Amino acid sequence: MTNHWIDLKNSDVLMAIGVNNAENHPISMKWVTEAKLAGAKFVVVDPRFTRSAAVADLYAPLRSGTDIAFYGGLFNYIMENNLQHDEYVKAYTTASWLVTPDYAFSDGLFSGYDTATAKYAADKATWAYQIESEEQWDTTETGKMAWVNGAGTPAFTTPTIKNAKKDLTLQDPNCVWQLMKAHYSRYTPELVSSITGTPLERLLEVYELYASTGEPGKAGSILYAMGQTQHTYGSQNVRAMAMTQLLLGNMGVAGGGVNALRGESNVQGSTDMAMLFHIIPGYMSSPTSVKHPKLADYLSAETPAGSYWTNKPKFLISLLKELYGDYATVDNDYAYDMLPKYDGSNHSHIAMFEKMYNGEMEGLFCWGQNPAQAGPNCGMERKALEKLKWLVAIDLWETETSIFWSEKANATPADIQTEVFLLPAACHYEKQGEIANSGRWIQWRYKAVEPRQDQKDDLEICTELVLKLKELYAAEGGANPEQITELTWDYLDDAGHADITKVARALNGYTVADNSLVKNFTLLAADGSTACGNWIYSGYWNNNDSNEPADQPTGARNDVDEPGEGLTEPIGSYLGWSFAWPVNRRVIYNRASADPSGKPWNENKILVKWDGTKWLRNDVPDFGFQVVDADGVATPTPPNSTAFIMVPEGAGRFFTPGMADGPFPEHYEPFEAPVENQMSSTQINPAITIYPTAAETRGTADEFPIVMTTFRLTEHWQSGVLTRNLPWLVQTMPKMFVELSRELAEEKSIVSGDNVVIENKRGAITAYAMVTDRVKPFTIGGKTVHQIGTPWHWGYAGVCSIGGSANELSPNVGDANTMIPESKAFLVNIRKQEV
Amino acid sequence: MAETAILYDASKCTACKGCQIACKQWNQLPAPLTAEEYEFTKSYQGPLDLDPDTWLLMTFSEVSMDIGVEWNFMRHACFHCTDAACEMACPVGAITHKETGAVVIDQDKCIGCQYCVNNCPFSIPRAKVIGGTDYAKSFKCWQCFDRTSADKDPACVTACPTDALEYGDRAEMVAKAKARVDTLKEQGFDKAEIYGENEVGGMHTIIVAHRGLEAHGLIRDPKVPVATNLLDLAKPLSAVGVGVVVGALGFSFAMGSKYKRGEHSYDEKTDTWTIGEVE
Repeated sequence: MTNHWIDLKNSDVLMAIGVNNAENHPISMKWVTEAKLAGAKFVVVDPRFTRSAAVADLYAPLRSGTDIAFYGGLFNYIMENNLQHDEYVKAYTTASWLVTPDYAFSDGLFSGYDTATAKYAADKATWAYQIESEEQWDTTETGKMAWVNGAGTPAFTTPTIKNAKKDLTLQDPNCVWQLMKAHYSRYTPELVSSITGTPLERLLEVYELYASTGEPGKAGSILYAMGQTQHTYGSQNVRAMAMTQLLLGNMGVAGGGVNALRGESNVQGSTDMAMLFHIIPGYMSSPTSVKHPKLADYLSAETPAGSYWTNKPKFLISLLKELYGDYATVDNDYAYDMLPKYDGSNHSHIAMFEKMYNGEMEGLFCWGQNPAQAGPNCGMERKALEKLKWLVAIDLWETETSIFWSEKANATPADIQTEVFLLPAACHYEKQGEIANSGRWIQWRYKAVEPRQDQKDDLEICTELVLKLKELYAAEGGANPEQITELTWDYLDDAGHADITKVARALNGYTVADNSLVKNFTLLAADGSTACGNWIYSGYWNNNDSNEPADQPTGARNDVDEPGEGLTEPIGSYLGWSFAWPVNRRVIYNRASADPSGKPWNENKILVKWDGTKWLRNDVPDFGFQVVDADGVATPTPPNSTAFIMVPEGAGRFFTPGMADGPFPEHYEPFEAPVENQMSSTQINPAITIYPTAAETRGTADEFPIVMTTFRLTEHWQSGVLTRNLPWLVQTMPKMFVELSRELAEEKSIVSGDNVVIENKRGAITAYAMVTDRVKPFTIGGKTVHQIGTPWHWGYAGVCSIGGSANELSPNVGDANTMIPESKAFLVNIRKQEV
Repeated sequence: MAETAILYDASKCTACKGCQIACKQWNQLPAPLTAEEYEFTKSYQGPLDLDPDTWLLMTFSEVSMDIGVEWNFMRHACFHCTDAACEMACPVGAITHKETGAVVIDQDKCIGCQYCVNNCPFSIPRAKVIGGTDYAKSFKCWQCFDRTSADKDPACVTACPTDALEYGDRAEMVAKAKARVDTLKEQGFDKAEIYGENEVGGMHTIIVAHRGLEAHGLIRDPKVPVATNLLDLAKPLSAVGVGVVVGALGFSFAMGSKYKRGEHSYDEKTDTWTIGEVE
């Protein structure tokens, strides 16, 4: 979330799209309800009528996978009717920036597309701004970037600042505003309605209501989750939300923002910690052997000319100092050579299982993951697991993955040679540590009870593994043993067990010379004098006088919402409760909550305010609001128009070269779609990667005319490993089912309670039919399209409830940027099971 | 202690069932352990009905609309009536009103006659055989009297994420509910109404039904069965002996306002009951 849970109460209109927050994020409704009591409207846009829709003021159905058409229509509606927040758009966004005349778009394809590789040109030359002037970093002794030449700082080529040409009248045909206007003029309400299946009147009602937040002083919040991301253009869905919020002046304001409601309590933390192949901790790119074989290559390529990211070398060198300690010196490039470099190709979940399927992997650790049930095309993923020599599953329960070889999985154990280990893990009550919630709050939790029997907490398991590896490399050597033997792993207590408070210290960062915790990341350096495991967490554990979690910012528990100094009304920031990264900031880009002169758009919902001499603050400002000299004397920085300090432009981007599949979101149909694309002849996202196992099992609308989507229920959690073993929860939702419309049920002679078979080329599952008017057929391009939905919580492992896994049917294709699987829109057929 | 009530505001409820689980957890009410023991309910309602181990159930009902549905939720549990039919019907005084207004069954005193089960106009109490006996005792929500008497909210109330459930002074809950109904009417919920203020002598569960009582499955103007009142009148005689009451019950069955059960009988020598068969 750019904002946070409590801040939802500050909103005037909340739009839940691609999220079922009442069911899957129940606590969000506490704040949505507060907003509603204060007069806010709650809008739900979803293919299914959910428990969120049940409490919404306005509900609009939309065919799964057509969100960009919906947003495109919204942009068009706003721009045609001049409903944007004009002053905000002009001051804080790239609307006035000029794009190269080489940029073009035609029939669903942007300029620079190479049909041979099915990718856009890597340099994105035709998606660039027109350059007015260029300048270099001021690295002179008194310059802002003098640190680059400091002793101990590795040499790299500093980037060139390119100042773009602008037309503040927004009239130049090549300015972002005009390009955007032209692009989305194609998205007429009638066409959008024909694509999405949303009744025209209802579509316009939603547009009108949400666009009302463009009025200065009004705030609109967008809530989303996997319903937006699990598409082959999921990243562009999120881009479209960001653009909506920029158009209406909703970014950086209280009650606004683009708010990803994370589906697991600590999935925010797992991304922060970079449990992904393409990033290292703190959202820095993973080094590749192609682009960054040496440290100087990395720093030169990855340090942008502008934004706070210009400090990236400080964050990287501090990370290397933590990883390799004294071994990391300026002479050995801070042990950069020890960091694994990948080849630049895709190593995401889908790609990894494709490799595994092809016999290119030997072993796999499945740590709290259950791909045999939750992975896309999970039947194929189970086949891939058979190719492994060994598999370690670490979980609370037996999972579908840990017994993928068994008769329960319809497998023949004798035919499978994979050696499988199941390590019992401690649950969250049985270990201490922190979790980062959707609002980026890093909250410490103490252990409540000791783990039973031989269950161990994850850090202990990891520590035992690392120490054993270190022992083996020390004894036996091998290729590059220093990579392991020199790796810092002193996160141990006196008894030699894992000590998570030591990890916390490392994540916060400290001065190497005296091991003293740094206050926050502004004190990190690129000269080897500081170490920090994750720069964005810096500041969350910075109390040098205590090692007690409760004495650290992450353990702060002041539940009084206090207004900032000089302000009278608090705004739900609760700055004394836990720690939000970065630097305890609750609303990202909060500079945009006030006009260029520093006057809040809404005087009743102040985040920051320039009172003529200084900044009054209900939140930690997301901009340089003061300069503190060596004696600690602070001089306030008067307002300017830079509201977005984390993007090189310093301004909100309507147009970006940063995406793999186009500078503007464009509507395509899902990988498997019931109809042809009505926007262009480019049927699907042209930049996605389709692996052979996906291509072979792709279904067509002739054979499989029904759209299927997957969802979660309040009563169960993820792959159901936990909840399907808890009788209380099973009793509230005991069986796997499929929701289908009365119309489809009649067509197929199905009644509620029947066992039905849902199938496509990837597999077949059975489920109980739940016939309901909560699901209705769509009219798409004049044709009736049926959509069904099933929860994905069920599988063959467990005690209290087993059932078919929805992911037997979902395709193993992913988004062009992130490779997140397209679990939310694919094709199936359905029939009554013969008794 | 003043009279208290749980306030349930259906217009704020998302039917997350947190209350249902909290009830199970606090009162340690079991659910079946194996997959075979569960049935598909064809709905989001699970289980389908209250049972001796489910004292609070979220109910779901759908009304079709042009776009989507009206999906109406209700917290189904004992209303803790002032004129409590169960209490009137209980021949042994096992069911009493606590000072908060909570209607509580004392299982130690319960003799398993199930008159409460049969007389409750809302079919709330449910009976099951418990350890060491061969007859079924009655169970239902007791408004977590162990908690409320220790100045804590009932378990269900603590679990509610949206404050759709509140607990407090009854008069205050009634006032809140009325104010909320007014607001909802202004917002276009023409049928919004309060439930429990005056029904059956006044309930200790006050409900805001924003789409009207019927939409939420509530019984309009519920009545204590005529025969139950007779049972209540017969009660002083119970001092003479349970058998007399049973006789009175036989009479009441003959009056038959809602009974479909055969007569129960009690054998003093063996201290056992024979439960009348359902006709």
